Amino acid sequence: MDPETEFLSSKRQTGNEWELFKENVRPLKRGRNVDLLNHALKARTNDQLKKSLLENRRRLIEAIDEYQGDDPLQPWLDCIKWVQEAFPPGGDFSGLVLIYEQCVRAFWHSDHYKDDLRYLKVWLEYAEHCSDAEVIYCFLDANDIGKTHSAYYIAYALHMESKSKMKAANDILNLGISSNAQPIEKLRDAYKKFLARSMRRPNATEEELKEDDLPVRSFGTVLARGESQRQAIKTFELGRNKLKQDQVHRTPLSIYNDTNMDVTRGHHSKPNTGSNSWHTLGGRAERNKENNAMPAKWTSHKIPQRPVPRIVGAVASAQIEVFVDEECEEKPKVHDEKDRTSSLQLRELDGRNIKKETELLRENPLRNFPSNSLPR
Amino acid sequence: MASRTVAKDIITLRGSAAIVSEFFGYAANSILYNRGVYPEESFAKVKKYGLPMLLTQDEGVKSFITNLTAQLSEWLEAGKLQRVVMVIMSKATNEVLERWNFSIETDSDVFEKGVSREKSDREIMREIQAIMRQIASSITYLPCLDEPCVFDVLAYTDMDVAVPFTWIESDPKLIANPQMVKLHSFDTKIHKVDTLVSYKNDEWDEQ
Repeated sequence: MDPETEFLSSKRQTGNEWELFKENVRPLKRGRNVDLLNHALKARTNDQLKKSLLENRRRLIEAIDEYQGDDPLQPWLDCIKWVQEAFPPGGDFSGLVLIYEQCVRAFWHSDHYKDDLRYLKVWLEYAEHCSDAEVIYCFLDANDIGKTHSAYYIAYALHMESKSKMKAANDILNLGISSNAQPIEKLRDAYKKFLARSMRRPNATEEELKEDDLPVRSFGTVLARGESQRQAIKTFELGRNKLKQDQVHRTPLSIYNDTNMDVTRGHHSKPNTGSNSWHTLGGRAERNKENNAMPAKWTSHKIPQRPVPRIVGAVASAQIEVFVDEECEEKPKVHDEKDRTSSLQLRELDGRNIKKETELLRENPLRNFPSNSLPR
Repeated sequence: MASRTVAKDIITLRGSAAIVSEFFGYAANSILYNRGVYPEESFAKVKKYGLPMLLTQDEGVKSFITNLTAQLSEWLEAGKLQRVVMVIMSKATNEVLERWNFSIETDSDVFEKGVSREKSDREIMREIQAIMRQIASSITYLPCLDEPCVFDVLAYTDMDVAVPFTWIESDPKLIANPQMVKLHSFDTKIHKVDTLVSYKNDEWDEQ
């Protein structure tokens, strides 16, 4: 009996937590295991389950350190996959970005994994979580990682496209094709789609010439990842909008700054500077300036600082003590030399630190890399 | 306090077959839309089951589905249809990526004794609505189909059914080691339809 017939005749049901809590689930390109998903969603309100999740995470992290075989990447992948499934909303508290970062940093100099598709995919997923992934693609380029795979060129080109750098995207795809990246058909197909999209673009040439591109006004459709390619411009209620909502928070919002005159470069209408502009609505650029301006230093106005007495040595009492259930308390472990560079770091972090570190990595994904590895 | 009885409607065999085959037509369209098998622009919105449903405007796909639902209706009326499966395959490799499995249980009494049943139309519509919502929400767990795909429809019928002209015998096009999710069912009291979606485990080392 095939598995589906078997499932149907067994009258087994699939839990419907996935549907009830779908707003809290970040869709994964790779798809999810629904039983794990339902379990993870139940765990949010069930301490027993939550404990078993934390226990699992601990085991997987240990497995990374204890691995003896000749494919040390594998336990990392198991851990990443599990974290993705067990923390459905993803987000800054899941520690996912930290794991990506530690994984890629563990193997970046290893020849063994330079052409490994799985290793490349970890990099690409890491890139998807960063506010500006270009530095990652440059790094991969400079260090010759993943360049035999179509996925690298496709992701890189999509990223450039999302920044309206069409010529760069074009060049990247062409480079991939001429390098015979595999699978070549997928790359050719992606190129065809890219060309079709660039035909549909208005002001294509104008945007290429601009040196510093003004961020295109959008609400999540800027990130032209594979998934969001299918984002509907006209939005239908059922299902489609979730990917969009999730991607918005990754690109930082640009903050309006009146003193930055660059706002109007490239736009047709001139701003009414200085004069009393209440009589005219102002051009579209001026009306839209909050969404279009590049942030700059606030130099024009100083706020006097209220003198605050510095408390030295009393830091401990100023911190909020986090209550830890007895059952959940982590037993202090004896750390040895190895731990400096190992993934055990993950275990020591609590929710606050994970979020902080994640934010830092999002902004500067290569911050922990030795400076001699970074591209010029 | 007066108790409210839900008004029931009479469901005939023909009526039930129409409901189920119509459901299948809309479900097929919804799957093609939500899974991105055809571009969004090729769909138009209509109201059905109290929801905005999307129907393809592509003539080829439209007529395929129309012929399909007509045939399904015929089989349903004869009580010969056991299952309908919509298979989504990679265009490049023909590998089966996803299967939407609608399994049908037919009340044999209806055939033997020619009875009709009673159930509120609204309730059936609500049940179907729940399934449609789930289909649309399935992107929560389904892998992203980021390559061009094609679809096919398999029908499992009783052994004594002659293969119609436009159909061919086929292998079951199964997925090896699939992930499976059972969705809601609906029941007209004559035909009960269970829905299951199965999909490939997408692995790290797949292109």
